[in-house]
Amino acid sequence: MVAPQVLVERLNRGVSKRNARWTFVRDHEFGDALTLRRFRLGNGLTVLTLVDRSAPTVSYHTWFRVGSRHERPGKTGLAHLFEHLMFNETRDHPHGDFDRLLEGAGAEANAATWTDWTYYYENAPRDALPLLVELEADRMGNLVLRAPQVASEKEVVANERKLRVDDDIEGKALELLYATAFRRHPYGWPTIGWMEDIRAFDVRDCQRFYRTHYAPGNATVVVAGDFDEKKALGLIRDHYGGFPKTAAAKTVVQPKEPSQRAERVVQLRAPTPTEKILLGYQAPAFGDPDTPALVVANEVLFGGRSSRLHRVFCIEEEIALSVRGSISPFVDPGLYEMWIFVHEGKRRQDALGRLEQELRKLASDGPTRPELEKAINQLELSFLHSMETAGGKAEQIGFYETVAGDGSAVFDRLEAYRGVTAADVKRVVDKYLRPSRRTRVEIRRGGG
Amino acid sequence: MSLFVESSDVLPLVDLEVAFPVGSLHDPAGKEGLAQLTGHLMRRGPRGLSQERFEDALAALGARASVEVSMRSTRVRATVLRRNLEPLLALVARMIWRPALRSADYAKLRRQAQASLTARLDDDQTLGALRFRRALFGSHPYGRTLGGTAASLARIDVDRVRGFYRRHIENGDFIVGIAGDVAERDARSLIEAHFPALGVCRRQDRKLRATRARRGRHVVIVDKPERTQTQLFIGTLGARTRDPKLFPLIVSNTAFGGTFSGPLMQEIRGVRGWSYGAYSRLLHSTQRDAWYMWTAPASEYSADCATLQLELLERWVERGVKLTELKFAQRYLINSHCFDRDTPSKRLEATMDVELLGIPRRYVDEHDRLIAGVTRAQANEATRARISPRDLTIVVVATAAEVASSFEALPGLASIEIVPFDGT
Repeated sequence: MVAPQVLVERLNRGVSKRNARWTFVRDHEFGDALTLRRFRLGNGLTVLTLVDRSAPTVSYHTWFRVGSRHERPGKTGLAHLFEHLMFNETRDHPHGDFDRLLEGAGAEANAATWTDWTYYYENAPRDALPLLVELEADRMGNLVLRAPQVASEKEVVANERKLRVDDDIEGKALELLYATAFRRHPYGWPTIGWMEDIRAFDVRDCQRFYRTHYAPGNATVVVAGDFDEKKALGLIRDHYGGFPKTAAAKTVVQPKEPSQRAERVVQLRAPTPTEKILLGYQAPAFGDPDTPALVVANEVLFGGRSSRLHRVFCIEEEIALSVRGSISPFVDPGLYEMWIFVHEGKRRQDALGRLEQELRKLASDGPTRPELEKAINQLELSFLHSMETAGGKAEQIGFYETVAGDGSAVFDRLEAYRGVTAADVKRVVDKYLRPSRRTRVEIRRGGG
Repeated sequence: MSLFVESSDVLPLVDLEVAFPVGSLHDPAGKEGLAQLTGHLMRRGPRGLSQERFEDALAALGARASVEVSMRSTRVRATVLRRNLEPLLALVARMIWRPALRSADYAKLRRQAQASLTARLDDDQTLGALRFRRALFGSHPYGRTLGGTAASLARIDVDRVRGFYRRHIENGDFIVGIAGDVAERDARSLIEAHFPALGVCRRQDRKLRATRARRGRHVVIVDKPERTQTQLFIGTLGARTRDPKLFPLIVSNTAFGGTFSGPLMQEIRGVRGWSYGAYSRLLHSTQRDAWYMWTAPASEYSADCATLQLELLERWVERGVKLTELKFAQRYLINSHCFDRDTPSKRLEATMDVELLGIPRRYVDEHDRLIAGVTRAQANEATRARISPRDLTIVVVATAAEVASSFEALPGLASIEIVPFDGT
């Protein structure tokens, strides 16, 4: 590979427009064999490249630092609706062209929106990279927003909401959990938006949103896979270099969620054959130093069939059909979610009591040495699996760049897991997993 | 020698698969769920290790293991950190060829399996898919569910499971695949050290009667309270794996409903916004399997959506695909084929399928040529020959009171039936 400074010098030869000139920022080792490089275009666009020739594919990710936390009451769901609109018409391409051109090239394209970010990706055969760059740049700068398309996408999103929330017990319970747990912070409203807000959006809302958030300074492009770095950077410069310079969007300081002092309990009745409990404990932000220890604690509690809670709930005492736990990977403090799918004939209260017993035990005794080793090995396995494809690598890099502020930090996280001690686990379980810090959704059989 | 290796040192990971040519089609009538129970009981660990100690041993290696049963295969899959490959192979070999198959474990497993049958009623899409296969195939074994029914599970005791294990696993043929960070020579010697001798794997496909489509259009409404939205499956029989019309039909179906930019998705979602997704799928097996369309429209226009889908279907079968649509589908299938082989485990999977399911080798080796060779006339002729718009099974998961009258008005309807979502 050509040294990045040399590469940048060659690429900038004869380029007079400041917005189209490259700066090499730095590189990072990415595992044993790969190097992640960080470049910045004059207009503020950050580009991370990872050349990996293990398969003849390339993945192109564009991460925007905008999600549902950047909305306001009455306009919830706008970030997600906008994600849909980005697949529509642009100045250079009529409606339908985007998908048709990509599918014709054998590419898979999709997008996702959550609380803190929205990202778009294409996984494609390596030869398709010029097309990916052209189409992504085009929709970043030249999207056309018209009333019929906004109306049609609103209907699609309304249907998506019915599919994922209104007619889905888990979706509905999660929405209720976050709305109850967060009274001030925007994490309390659903990323897909409230139905009445979705129905009320108009073209002006969408245009305003586009102008505010979709700009080079608010985005990171990640290119991973089998590609020529110089050609890729040249293409990106040619297609994005004409966009005006923008600064990174100002960090939105959200209202701090007041500390929770007592458990909050809500009931949800649904046409379900089995009862369930959903718990959300106030949890640290993804970047908080306590998070790795809490992730290890989660692995000890819920990670696979040898985990404590699976063993107690599903095998030994048959209290639940399944249990699972996860910590929301948010920029601000989120929730540690726990699900208990209660066995028919068992009582919710007994299940909850048993859970508390196990949490107290972990807080007082900590994990055993073998448990800790198991947890870390399992986290390493999951990490390696997430890195199998070019798309997997690009996603990890884009996520860490957007949420943790550094795309290369993905390997640091694995090291942080390895450094977690039994005392760390005890401490964070005691600190975070107290009944007074949680919200509980009880899902009962019956009409809504 | 039935060992297949896909070496790659990109990541320090290894995937292992031990596959047996036996699945739910080998379940005796009335004992549906037997193959799956057998696989899952085996997964509870070997003799001499409690289930708890077995799980601890697997997890300590940085490994995961599963037993997946399909209609025609039982696949033991494991994935492990490279440094622990050898102890994993030893552990998996003990699990497969010296399983404990304990009565106490079985009692719990069966209770869990019965509870799972109930729990899946929460998922409307799964519910719709299961009901669709049952309605399409009727009493044919393709209409069975892998997990059986509450009644069939109740009829299976642990001795029956042990007998099934002895016949089909302990004394059955198998193949082994390894993918990832291990050289072929090392993989071979490790397998020879820990596994029984590998012989030739003979498929044990049961002689099944041909599947038959019911004449006419039949609607089944799976009645579930409080649905604001519906799950809609519309389909008929598709093709056999060895059908000479299979590749023309794959191309034609891709042009119709296999991509985001195809007419099915565009008419339903792009133009009208009626459903978050809209696609058609072509399945194939030794007998003709299913071809179906899936959408999830809101209750108020579910029947309109079904009517439109029927019109699109008729147009597709009668007029066929245009040359531009055909070429587009071919480009898509050929260009995207790299994602079927971009990891060692995916490359291994294709090889294992050839060996295990009797998929002709050339389907994998000559995939691009077979796709590119399809002419418009062949694609359209295959569609007309295999897809019958007159003989359709239509399953909709919905609140019946809200949709029944509008579905009664569908064109060419032969019957309409309402069944409770939690009925057997």
